[in-house]
Amino acid sequence: MGAFLALGLFQGAVYGLLAVGIVLVYKAKRVFNFAQGEFGGVAAFTAFAIVVGAGLPYWVGVVGGLAAAVAMGLIVERVIVRPLESSSRTIMLVALVGVALFTIAIIVLLGQPIPRVMPPLIAGGGVNILGAGILPQQLILMAVLAVLAAAMAWFFKTDMGLAVLASSQDTRAAQVVGISPVAVSRLVWGMAALLGGIAGLLYAPVGIFTPGFMTLTMLVPAFAAAVLGGMTSLPGAFIGGLAIGVVQNLGIYYLGQQLKVPGAAELGVFALLMLVLLIRPQGLLGKEA
Amino acid sequence: MATATMVLTRVKVQRRFGLALRVTVVIALLALAALPLLLGGDVWAQRISRAAIYAVIGLSINTLTGHAGQISLGHQAFVGIGAFAAAFMASRLGAPLGFGLAAAGVAGAFTAVVIGLVALRVTGLYLALVTLAFGLTAETTIFNWREFTGGGAGAFAPRPAVLASDHAFAPLCLGVLGLVLYLDWRIVSTKTGRALAAVRNDERIASTLGVNVTGYKLAAFSLSGLIAGLAGGLFAHWNQIVQAMDFEFQVALVWVLMTVVGGLRSRLGVILASAFFALLPLTLPNFLSSLPWQPPFLNEAVYHVLPPFIVVVMLLIVLRCFPGGFGQLLRPATAWLSGKRQS
Repeated sequence: MGAFLALGLFQGAVYGLLAVGIVLVYKAKRVFNFAQGEFGGVAAFTAFAIVVGAGLPYWVGVVGGLAAAVAMGLIVERVIVRPLESSSRTIMLVALVGVALFTIAIIVLLGQPIPRVMPPLIAGGGVNILGAGILPQQLILMAVLAVLAAAMAWFFKTDMGLAVLASSQDTRAAQVVGISPVAVSRLVWGMAALLGGIAGLLYAPVGIFTPGFMTLTMLVPAFAAAVLGGMTSLPGAFIGGLAIGVVQNLGIYYLGQQLKVPGAAELGVFALLMLVLLIRPQGLLGKEA
Repeated sequence: MATATMVLTRVKVQRRFGLALRVTVVIALLALAALPLLLGGDVWAQRISRAAIYAVIGLSINTLTGHAGQISLGHQAFVGIGAFAAAFMASRLGAPLGFGLAAAGVAGAFTAVVIGLVALRVTGLYLALVTLAFGLTAETTIFNWREFTGGGAGAFAPRPAVLASDHAFAPLCLGVLGLVLYLDWRIVSTKTGRALAAVRNDERIASTLGVNVTGYKLAAFSLSGLIAGLAGGLFAHWNQIVQAMDFEFQVALVWVLMTVVGGLRSRLGVILASAFFALLPLTLPNFLSSLPWQPPFLNEAVYHVLPPFIVVVMLLIVLRCFPGGFGQLLRPATAWLSGKRQS
């Protein structure tokens, strides 16, 4: 029981990290960013190619991976998001789904659909927390999530963050006072891609990873975390991520282990999402941005 | 006076001739489309059934996304629930095929109503997230529920003796497709269609005009679920065995993309795109392995990512260059066939 709680918290840190990026894009653009997971996928595979494939030092892999993720973010912004700025949000979401599938397909074509192992930042055995073995990598992940969620919350208090919010509320009026919508769009997508890249780099070494690992297993809980947190709240994304992780693992413990329900983790996420929308659609900390 | 009459007569004759020509062209095109069914043997009869089932799925998504402006990213769950319901009716209860299909549609519609009641009250595209989560739940929990689906082994959906051959089954699929097409046409050309257009364009304005926004969105979603369930029922009997792994969540994403590539609210476009993507996974590997030169990065392992890859590339091209999809490209031809004057 305690072990499941601890596992859930640290699993939830990954969801929180992805949810922070999702919330950032939603606050600025009112778009559900379906490609958020694949920013991490691109970063992880680039870093793997540099560190394991080419045998270069780890920090080169980290820098290269993050650079690849940011480059992808800027390309997506330029090629997909900006030309579709005027079309409906439905079409934008479909396009971002397309981006995620496109990236996965490219990774499969270049790298074959085989599982890989990425060396962790700090090697060594796990720490025992409530009876669960937690890897050093997961402790780093939790710390990074806390720092990044706080940093993003602070960002929206700065002039630059306020400019992003202003542009989101009324693009034309923001333009009149000198806030370029193009610059805001680039900034938001670049930052979202950086966040996604960090999530991918930190999560890939936790287990084995395959093409699409961030989208196929991580993205849905991350969206649920963002909705639970209120879709516009960065502390909400942090809390939501951890809560989803815990709910998932409690689901595995109670439903999966004791009642033998298959797919208890997914069922837990779905049930929580339905409950939030039923009881508190604005989420835990949500308010109009 | 006499000349005026003559001109009028000539116009009338030309119109009649035009009508006759258009009808001939339509019949010729339909006959061309029916050729593989008549001459292609069992393989093509089976493929045409698959294309028709995909077209029904495409129209189901079109009902939700094209008419109501909402997205479902877990449509494979509705198709799957329909498929397992039909299989359950056929193999466990021994019910006739018609009852099985009806149960499939009802199961799909019921699931959609339950989910829509929660997700469609909230403004925004929350339905996309809820259906996405539901799709995963369906894939792992519902479809692995042993009593209902037979667990991982799958559920059998035998065809009745009359429809046992693929040649007999294809007309059934085409008939259901025709029924769904008729439904779609009736929706667009009645009050419901106009209300849905208002909801799609601006929910707030629609509600000030007295349109029940949530009600119409829910109606569109439940109809979409019904059609998806029906397609699932057909799929069950087409394949004769239903397994959880047939309904992975990437499938739903490809279906949404395929419908947009076909062109939202364009019946012909959706059908053509659906048929194309139904046949692509069947024909592409054979085609590629018959090529004299193999690209180095292609092998059996990556064949299954190629159809999604192609649909995505087509989607990106469509969104950038012609947002109306195939429907937009075909508009000159369809406008001429429906007898509209060029303006």
